[in-house]
Amino acid sequence: MSTLTAPGSTSFLSGKPLRFIAAGILLVNGMFPALWILFTSLKTEAELTAKPITWIPHAPTVQNYVQAFSDQPLHVFLFNSFMVALLSTALTLLVSVLAAYALARLNLTYRGLILSLIIAVSTFPLVTLLVPLFEIMRTLNLLNSWTALILPYTVLSLPVCTLMLVSFFEGIPRDLENAAMIDGCTRMGALFKVVVPLCAPGVFTAGILAFVNAWDEFLLALSFNSNPSLRTLPVGIQLYQGEFAFPWPVISAALVVGIVPVAILIVIFQERVVSGLTAGGIKG
Amino acid sequence: MATTTTFKATDIGEAPPAGWTRWLDLSDRSLAVLLLAPAAILLALIIVYPVCRLAYTSVFNLSLTSGLPAEFVGLENYRLMIDDPVFWETTWNTVLITLITVPGALLVGLGLALMANLPFAMQWPVRLSLLIPWALPLSFAGLIFAWFFHSEYGVVNDVLNRFGFEGIIWFNSPNWAFAAICLTIIWKTSSFMALIILAGLQTIPRSLYEAADVDGAGRLRQFFEITLPLLKPSIVVALIFRTITALQTFDIPYMMTGGGPGTSTSTLAMYIHQNTVSFLDLGYGSALAVVMFALSMCVTAVYLRMIRTKE
Repeated sequence: MSTLTAPGSTSFLSGKPLRFIAAGILLVNGMFPALWILFTSLKTEAELTAKPITWIPHAPTVQNYVQAFSDQPLHVFLFNSFMVALLSTALTLLVSVLAAYALARLNLTYRGLILSLIIAVSTFPLVTLLVPLFEIMRTLNLLNSWTALILPYTVLSLPVCTLMLVSFFEGIPRDLENAAMIDGCTRMGALFKVVVPLCAPGVFTAGILAFVNAWDEFLLALSFNSNPSLRTLPVGIQLYQGEFAFPWPVISAALVVGIVPVAILIVIFQERVVSGLTAGGIKG
Repeated sequence: MATTTTFKATDIGEAPPAGWTRWLDLSDRSLAVLLLAPAAILLALIIVYPVCRLAYTSVFNLSLTSGLPAEFVGLENYRLMIDDPVFWETTWNTVLITLITVPGALLVGLGLALMANLPFAMQWPVRLSLLIPWALPLSFAGLIFAWFFHSEYGVVNDVLNRFGFEGIIWFNSPNWAFAAICLTIIWKTSSFMALIILAGLQTIPRSLYEAADVDGAGRLRQFFEITLPLLKPSIVVALIFRTITALQTFDIPYMMTGGGPGTSTSTLAMYIHQNTVSFLDLGYGSALAVVMFALSMCVTAVYLRMIRTKE
């Protein structure tokens, strides 16, 4: 199915050696940094500072993982990241399902305008709102709370998820809903009992994107939640650095712990994530 | 809500289909308002109100450290900005990062996509190796590459040594530190580019290449006259989003160098953050943010215009 194996071409370009090299480059490019951090996390301090540096750990140890959890409340960072990402994903999905349904199904006068507006918001640089959001959260006494992050993260993913869901909803035949309504469902009932289940893969994909967006966010989490018990993982990881010491094996262990949950998500749902990314074609 | 959206089965017998659709039309408006309200409220609270607030604060001298009430200073914050060398330096760094990493990520992404499009027996390891850099948080990528570029124990210098080159003390020199940051950003963002381009590649009909083969067009010519033109739409959208996120670059330099040495690798986003959170100088921070806002709105305007002309 490839463009590079067009018939009649027997050049090196379509041959096995090229595929072998290409696979090597792709795998090293994608996996090596994560793998290197895994190796580092298994090294002892002594091995780490040996010269020349070793690649594969000689005497793998899990001591760094133990220390990652005991030096800092890593489980708290994980919990905060997880809850903030999960709650903002749930809120994003709820709000975007409703909005997308209105845009896909109701004959709105300003549909085009609203869609343009959503696209404009999807490119909005949230960084610029650091000052006003900081002020708002301070006034509402929300600094150092999950809510301070959940609300902006919801807005961060809202446009992408809405646009994705609009196109999914438009693919569902209207007859199915009409049938449900004739059977006594309310319109909302039809939405949540018929349309959403039929779009479950789409809703789920939108959810994964929203989750990853929230899990990755750093600047707002850094600015709003300075209390260690409310830090998310990317912010909490900085606490391992002492003023002069930089305990790389321990930091690596904490990084591995932070990478694993999302990596599992990606491994299981890779096809869905790719289709969602390329359909919504948005964040980078 | 229930009264406007309930639909009784018994109504059907009395009302013909026309009346049924009229019922839909009637309630469409109120239903639409109801369904769009949560999104509108959120956007109003997190985007619209803050944008107004941003413009408002930027003409005030509002510093939380001074303890003084906000004082209207007109365009004073903007005038200060013009005289502020750090503003120019961080803005220049931001523009430079954008100009280097956006085309860089495009070229690397194009290469990765062309390789990933080869007919491999197994697709999932290839897909996964493009997804992992995308899913890795930017801040994690910054830390990981800071370790990569470590002058003593970093793997980059180790590889350089093995090839007989001298190791580089990356983070002591502004230029090398800047190069390390750009390389990291290109690595982190190119796989997303590759995924978008790969999806575009897979929609190009093979018959086009077959026809070109019959006409005797070489591989290189096929690439420039079939592949690239047909990829253009997906590339352009990816480029615009990448440009806007590049203008907001924060996580990677913050984690790798903290802006150093000095402020030589600091970005505009980092300067906004510093003024807001560290100096609590909200007035000046806002004025800086207005500049970034204007920069990215220019890019968005280009984008919206393109979408409109396409339709």
